[in-house]
Amino acid sequence: MKTARIMLFLVAVGALSLMVPAATNADSVKIGMHAPQTGFAAADGNSAILGAQLAVEQANASGGVNGRQIELIVYDDQATPKESVPAATKLASSDRVDAAISGSYSGATRAAADVFQSYKIPYISAYAVHPGITRTGDYVFRSSFVGEVQGRAGAKLIGERLGVKKVSVLTLKNDFGKSLVAGFTEAAPLFGVDIISEYEYSIKDRQFGPVIAKIKDDNPEAIYATGYFFTAGPFVSQLRAAGVDALVIGQEGYDSQKFIEIAGKAANGVIITTSLDRDSDNAETVDFIRRFEAKAGYKVDMVAASGHTAVKALVEAMRKAGSTERDAVRRMLHEVSIEASTGTIAFNTLGEVKKDAQVQIVRDGEWRHHSVISDSVLLAPPDQ
Amino acid sequence: MLFLDLFVEGLVQGSIYALIAIGLTLVYGLLRILHVAHAGMFTLGGYLSVWATNASGSFVLSLLAAALAAGVAGILVYRLCYRPILHRPPHVALIASIGLYVGMEELFRLFFGPYGMSHTDPPLSETVGFFSMRLKYAEIAIMAGAVALISALAVVVNKTRLGMAWRATVAEPQMALSCGINNDRIRDLIFFIGSALAALAGAMVALVNNYAEPTMGAVPAYKALAIIVLAGLGDVGGTLLAALALGVIESFGTIYLGKALDRDAIAFAFMIVVLMLRPRGIFGKG
Amino acid sequence: MDYAASLLTVAGINIILALGLNLITGYCGQISLGHAAFYGMGAYCAALMAKAGWPFFAVLLPAMAVAGVLGIVVGFAALRVRHDFLAITTMGVGFLFLGIVRQQEWLGGEMGIYNIPGAGLDSTGYMLLTLGFAALAAALSAHIKRSWMGRVFNAIADDEDAALTAGVNVAGYKLAAFAIGTAMAGLAGALYAHGIRYVGPESFGFVDSVAILCMVVVGGVGSVPGVIAGALLLTLLPQLLQVVSDYRLLLYGGLLFLVTRFSPGGMAGMARAIAAAAGRPRAS
Repeated sequence: MKTARIMLFLVAVGALSLMVPAATNADSVKIGMHAPQTGFAAADGNSAILGAQLAVEQANASGGVNGRQIELIVYDDQATPKESVPAATKLASSDRVDAAISGSYSGATRAAADVFQSYKIPYISAYAVHPGITRTGDYVFRSSFVGEVQGRAGAKLIGERLGVKKVSVLTLKNDFGKSLVAGFTEAAPLFGVDIISEYEYSIKDRQFGPVIAKIKDDNPEAIYATGYFFTAGPFVSQLRAAGVDALVIGQEGYDSQKFIEIAGKAANGVIITTSLDRDSDNAETVDFIRRFEAKAGYKVDMVAASGHTAVKALVEAMRKAGSTERDAVRRMLHEVSIEASTGTIAFNTLGEVKKDAQVQIVRDGEWRHHSVISDSVLLAPPDQ
Repeated sequence: MLFLDLFVEGLVQGSIYALIAIGLTLVYGLLRILHVAHAGMFTLGGYLSVWATNASGSFVLSLLAAALAAGVAGILVYRLCYRPILHRPPHVALIASIGLYVGMEELFRLFFGPYGMSHTDPPLSETVGFFSMRLKYAEIAIMAGAVALISALAVVVNKTRLGMAWRATVAEPQMALSCGINNDRIRDLIFFIGSALAALAGAMVALVNNYAEPTMGAVPAYKALAIIVLAGLGDVGGTLLAALALGVIESFGTIYLGKALDRDAIAFAFMIVVLMLRPRGIFGKG
Repeated sequence: MDYAASLLTVAGINIILALGLNLITGYCGQISLGHAAFYGMGAYCAALMAKAGWPFFAVLLPAMAVAGVLGIVVGFAALRVRHDFLAITTMGVGFLFLGIVRQQEWLGGEMGIYNIPGAGLDSTGYMLLTLGFAALAAALSAHIKRSWMGRVFNAIADDEDAALTAGVNVAGYKLAAFAIGTAMAGLAGALYAHGIRYVGPESFGFVDSVAILCMVVVGGVGSVPGVIAGALLLTLLPQLLQVVSDYRLLLYGGLLFLVTRFSPGGMAGMARAIAAAAGRPRAS
């Protein structure tokens, strides 16, 4: 019994120290953020955090929100709901944030959205694509594309813009890959695209030998391959080495200089749908790219831009509303229209944005402008 | 020719598994420890080889450096981590090893950053035609390397004193200890060799994918555990065959069974089926 | 304080998980690296039933039953293989479970099952319920340890062959250990499903099985208060370390390594050492 008492005492001491929330300035406006700082998605989490931090720095430099400075409180969620729910609960009930954003993947975001909605805290998903996220409730918004919408844009890109008909589809087995492919498959017939074969892979896979062998056998004109830079990079590199010349169409998950570093020469000619146009002469975009690269020390990627945009949207809504009162901010989010590096951000009744899809292509080892897909009917996000 | 393609791809993957699994079976045969931290040597090899190649331009030199560094690291792991707890129940060493692996993964991330590292000019990336396939020289090097190294190891195990000592320990650990065979010198050597092989595997994987990342060891870690059990713990030749077989089964399985099971599940389903039929593994004797 | 309540709820669930594994691995000596799979079975069973309209309390027993029955099936595998083979076989069972779940749309596939109805309690109420179950699990574990069954388990863990020659139905008792331990995991799963209200394959993987084993080992294998403390510590520690979130996993790995390296009896071992040292001067 004595041993039991000693141990439980030690642990109780530890537990008490948990009741202490993050040390913050009482007068500041608090924006919470959860993102993967450790684990397999740490690269994306890191970029999203840097993008968000940049937005906070810029906002503070131009007067903060209604005279008060903004503080960004970031917790690690390892891109899993198991960690994102306690992180969200801590931000909401312990740190009492005024608003929050997600710098994480769909699974973690969806679970956290439940928490923020129940606390009625305005919450913006920076780049998680699962459609269910905004359906959680009226306090949940998304400042980037819904997966299906981007998938549809891909179908139009391939069938109409590039005039290609025979396509093999490679699906990453998670929310991201599946929702992209769902949209692609739905819109493919509209543009005369014929999906001749479909394959799946897991986020842990880096070696695609068997799938590539099968695709080579199928001989498509193009491959619609969903994934992130750390899966697409190896995939494209191995694909070209195996002698497959088919066009590769990707999405914003590729959108990072790392993709090009990994795939090397094989990256040239790869085309993606995304939200960031590096060749843009839009003042916002140019400014963001320059500042980010100065702050981070590496080239901008889509995830960083998304984190930046999400914070910008919150700040703008707070300023316009003249307060950080949660319901006022929520209502104002539906009314604002923000110019950001990832496009013009305006939320519909569901909290989704409608914007054009940027198409980028790799040329000479850099992401360059290819075209723009703007079809308001096709790209209309769901509104309920 | 699709079948040949899938078969060869399976052999490439299997060769990588073999290089990792061999080190594990060597350690297990000697100490009856599941050396999970072995995967950390794999990752170390990946990072060091990429970094050194980028810095020096010579892939061969960086391979040697990586193997050497991992070998030394392996000896340190044995001396600082396992030796002090050998007399404890097996789950203690297992958890210590897991803690060590998690720590190593994190150190890689903190030191090299979360973005991973790539070769600025990947060596061995030219391809060669082989029937209807195209293979990178790197892939051929993996297969050739695995076969050569493991055959050499088999010779060592069967024909040298070191090998005899190891086999004796696999068969009768207590006896070997009392005869003074299972001593520190042999253990150092075994850890050195095993870790060096894992590092080479890591270097080749980092080359074929052109990407070394902190978590690259996680999947090989548990696949390798499945392989050494499948083969029958403590059998070098058997481990090679089991690894190649697993690679080929995975290759065909992902294409034809993909709808029912994912890749890892296929590997383990295969392992469980075999174990139920032959509880000591395919070639097991210990 | 909602945050504290949600955290203690998770701690309660982890205590139940760790005590269940303690029965299998600690008492009976069968190393299981797939315990999270049974946790997952209970969670998925509860999720599906809850979404089909079953009320909370009606879901608990079926969840435990599903996990327990499948635990017996895996227990039969334990009869075929031993020691480290068993560890890896159970690891394989974990992967197989997830591999099947990931490919079945009716189980939510990759994305899991969302919007599971809650238990109808507020966060403090749910915490008390969960801690109540944890207390029951602790009482059960302590009772088994003192009982005939507990002694047989220890005999099997110490020397299986000797137990066999003594006429013990080793097979039967091994299966019993698995059945009870995995049923407890199933209960934990049902509590998880109604607490977090989302179940997905990424919560029940190999890493999670390892985490539960760590709670048992760090706490002190076989010791009920030790395992409870281990579960509490390893649940609360990552949250405590959110302030240094970049170094959390490193510290976690370091802790595992240091505890097993320097105090293989876990926290229970340390406590015994402290108690012994404190007790000595009082001898009279």
